[in-house]
Amino acid sequence: MAQLIPIKVTVNDTVYERQVEPRLLLSDFIRHELGLFGTHVGCEHGMCGACTILFDGEPVRSCLIFAVQANGHQIKTVESLGSPDHMHPLQEAFHEKHGLQCGFCTPGILMTVVPFLEEHPHPTEDEIREAIDGNICRCTGYEKIIESVQAASEKMSSGK
Amino acid sequence: MNVEGEYIFNGPQQAVYDMFNDPNALATAVPGMQKMVQVDETHYEGAIFLRIGPISAAFEGVLSLSDINPPESCTLNIEGKGKAGFAKGVGRVKFTDLGNNQTKLNYSGEVNIGGTLASVGQRMIDSVAKSMIKSGCEKLQKTLEERCQQK
Amino acid sequence: MTGKYFGQPVLRLEDKHLLTGRAKFCDDIVIPGMLHAAFLRSDYAHAIIKNIDVTEARKHPGVVAVYTAEDMGDYWKIGPLQVPPPFAIKDAQFNARPLPPIAKDKVRFSGEPIAIVIAESRYIAEDACEDIIFDAEPLPAVIDLEKAWEDTSVLVHDDLPSNMAALVKQEAGDYEAAKKQADVVVSKRFVADHVAGAAMENRGFVVNWDERTQEMTVWAGTQAPLPLRSAIAGRMGLVENQVRVITPYIGGGFGPKVMTSQADDVLLPWISMKLNRPIKWIEDRRENFLATTSERDQVHHCEMALKKDGTILGFKDVFYHNTGAYDPYGMTVPLNTQTHTVSNYRVPNFYTEIRMVFTNEMVVTPVRGAGRSEGVFVMERMMDLAAKELKMDPVEIRLKNLLKKEEFPLNTGVIGQDFVVGVLDSGDYKNNLEKCIQMVDYEKFRKEIQPKARKEGKHLGIGVVAFTEGTAVGPYEGARVTVGNNGKVSVSTGYSTQGQGHFTVFAQIVAEQLNVKVEDVRVITGDTGHFHWGAGTFASRGATIAGSAIHAAAVLVREKIFATAAKFLEVPEDQVDLCEGSACVKGHPEKFISLGDLAGKANPMRGAVEADVKPGLEATAYYAPPHGATGSGACAMIVDVDPETFKVKIERFVLVHDCGTVINPLLLEGQIQGGVSMGIGNAFYEKMVYDENGQLMTASFMDYLMPQATDMPRKMEIGHNVHPSPLNTLGLKGVGEAGALPPSPAFCQAVEDALYEYELDLTESNLNPSMLYEFRNKAIKR
Repeated sequence: MAQLIPIKVTVNDTVYERQVEPRLLLSDFIRHELGLFGTHVGCEHGMCGACTILFDGEPVRSCLIFAVQANGHQIKTVESLGSPDHMHPLQEAFHEKHGLQCGFCTPGILMTVVPFLEEHPHPTEDEIREAIDGNICRCTGYEKIIESVQAASEKMSSGK
Repeated sequence: MNVEGEYIFNGPQQAVYDMFNDPNALATAVPGMQKMVQVDETHYEGAIFLRIGPISAAFEGVLSLSDINPPESCTLNIEGKGKAGFAKGVGRVKFTDLGNNQTKLNYSGEVNIGGTLASVGQRMIDSVAKSMIKSGCEKLQKTLEERCQQK
Repeated sequence: MTGKYFGQPVLRLEDKHLLTGRAKFCDDIVIPGMLHAAFLRSDYAHAIIKNIDVTEARKHPGVVAVYTAEDMGDYWKIGPLQVPPPFAIKDAQFNARPLPPIAKDKVRFSGEPIAIVIAESRYIAEDACEDIIFDAEPLPAVIDLEKAWEDTSVLVHDDLPSNMAALVKQEAGDYEAAKKQADVVVSKRFVADHVAGAAMENRGFVVNWDERTQEMTVWAGTQAPLPLRSAIAGRMGLVENQVRVITPYIGGGFGPKVMTSQADDVLLPWISMKLNRPIKWIEDRRENFLATTSERDQVHHCEMALKKDGTILGFKDVFYHNTGAYDPYGMTVPLNTQTHTVSNYRVPNFYTEIRMVFTNEMVVTPVRGAGRSEGVFVMERMMDLAAKELKMDPVEIRLKNLLKKEEFPLNTGVIGQDFVVGVLDSGDYKNNLEKCIQMVDYEKFRKEIQPKARKEGKHLGIGVVAFTEGTAVGPYEGARVTVGNNGKVSVSTGYSTQGQGHFTVFAQIVAEQLNVKVEDVRVITGDTGHFHWGAGTFASRGATIAGSAIHAAAVLVREKIFATAAKFLEVPEDQVDLCEGSACVKGHPEKFISLGDLAGKANPMRGAVEADVKPGLEATAYYAPPHGATGSGACAMIVDVDPETFKVKIERFVLVHDCGTVINPLLLEGQIQGGVSMGIGNAFYEKMVYDENGQLMTASFMDYLMPQATDMPRKMEIGHNVHPSPLNTLGLKGVGEAGALPPSPAFCQAVEDALYEYELDLTESNLNPSMLYEFRNKAIKR
């Protein structure tokens, strides 16, 4: 058994202290150590974007980072956005515009779009396409995802 | 995958040929080569550590020489296997005396790869092979110079 | 037939859990004491197994067990065939070679499992796979379809005289006679390239054998929970009710997840019982590419005979179909191809021949489109070829030959994947195309936009194609609808769902009948503990087949509500009405009983019970169609091609579709758009490439290019025609695969039209800039 390294990570505002193997992927840490299953793993080589989380506020692929690299950092996962009864406006917009089908890529897309909308509160369609270009969705053909993000930007800027 | 090319050594044909039949010289020339042991006249066993794009893994294999025709040509057969797949290759090398203490090496061969090496590494393997051959030849050139000086 | 809920753009019930990360997928299942599995897979595509030494792997700390085929003893069995051979077709030849669970003696494709490691963690299991020494003698690989058909020097299955997996001929009329009457005969060879289903969630399987209850629970990302349950029970010697298969949320299906009797579902239940421990296996992306089924990969030799005016006299198609190393899924895919080459136009004489070939590649089974894509591709390309030859407009030649709505129902004379002769039930194919060219403004494009663009040096081209989608085949599906004591309604069906929105559309069907809120209908799909009859998710059949069964059950419950309420309200049945969530007296909404209370009454207690008791506001019903329902459509695409870089931008994408009655227009659009993105991916980005040694060169998303947001057209303009199917009460036809069918041929036609300076002849379904460059270089300059 490889040596274990102590880490202290803040995930969704909760501080977790764990002993982990140095090779443990952050995606596996979040899912299997912390039980936060909203972060999905689609390819494990950084191409599909399903495992996107916020790392100190920046969207990153948690399958390309080791858990030990998250030591001392702040992480946000999809679970931090909203609950079924109190969804985030972005989640509401995806619901209203049919921006998801199987929903497997969705958490990664949401976590990509959250910081994007903070920087671009009134994005153009092209900007949205660029922003989610690194997230693969097999179900929707993206059109309704774009509409969802547009609707979310309107909701959020009007403070609804 | 096919490999083909040439390299001009500064040294006499026989010395260049000998070097290609010397496991110690070859072992130091191939990047990542960790050992090379002679089994019999024409067979060597070796271990190599390769980095190809996202893959880095150890391979063990056998190098054998055939069609030996000193100091003009020989055929190198390589068969290697490791956790990241396998490779099997044949390389024909030919040496031509260009005069002026120069020897031209012509090489051509095919390499078949399998496993992760193929399914993930194939995009890089062509350029990795080329760069390995180039740096290998450069190393051999240095060895050759050292040997010629010693003589 | 739009109602209060039925036909409305109801928002999805399943969304909230998915959006907030609360939905439970296969890899989210955790059971105390659970072990993890990893497969060692062959690097060779074709090799004789010499030795598999697992000694070191067994010693690896954290490893609980390692098994090879040899360790399985008598439990190791080949097969069974998941889909039977096409016995309904006269003289069909089929060599059944179903999947072995794990390779024994010989490996036949790169990625074939050769050992399984069970360990305390997946990391350890994968480590221990590396400790296994696999010694094999490599053989040459069989890859080229046409060559493999003739060449018997290397055989995928040594006990067969050739690499022939099947030979099936179907014909109507007399093609050769028709050819003699023809003014022109055009012929061409086409390649339909190999693509992956590539659902975002890989496959997964969790199994728990409980020794004390003698029950096995399986969670699997499967499209076919009931066949899976029956297969497991059969192998384990258990009666069906000892095995419960549950489909958790599934991250996309697209076809390959319909497979059963593969390494995971054969080995893991057996090992779980042996070790008396729960086990989880989650496939990774590379495994998914290597060893989960994929599709297309055909080579067609087509010939079409026509009159001068463009009327088709006959069509001939001899095609090679790659089935991969085994053929467990029968002939579903090539039969679909056969039915779809001649389903759109009037083809009085045709001959179509399947040459199904074994190769050293992973097995081919349906992927969204499923043989239809190939059929539509070659037929549409042949129409273009004929149009060029006859100097006709591609739209004109299509309109001339498309079947007319008066001709339906039309017996096609081709036996399809459901083993019955195809019948085109309804539709207006010509109107689909007319509407499509109207939406795209074909005239204006030809007369104004394109000439102007050409003057400006731009290369704009248009492609217009028509298609049909055979959907909703049998055998059957079923469902049970129950009103609960709280007035909410539960629906259980054996049908499983992978993101299509069944929780919502099924609820709409029930809500409409029972006049309850859609959100008060809870749908359970694909849990064999709740409903244990059905076939599975394939052939765009969910809404139609399971939907019709659910509708039938809801109608029965509605009748029961009326009967029970009449008794309770003391009025004749025809005086009962359904108010929202209750039954009331017609015209007297104040005299009512809530459905929940009525459900209580329908469960008679002591003293109230009658001899022929049928308790509960509950009913079970099934639906089995006589044959499939056929959707139809037309598609137009305008592309802008850069003649230097061959970058292709889709400027406009128009699709007119007819899937009969619409249950939910919002979800319908989603289904079509998703299909289209897969079709566009297939046309220009996605391609599985095997080298001549059978090594898969595209086993990651770095090499297998999925369409991304910037690759898609800005807007998919979708038009609808509604010609309800006469086959079922609701008038439904399937739609799931429609969008994936027309993009490839439309793309080819549009690109040829754009690069007008050359006599371009695009004969492959998957192009990319470098292939376009090669095709252009081969083409004659006009």
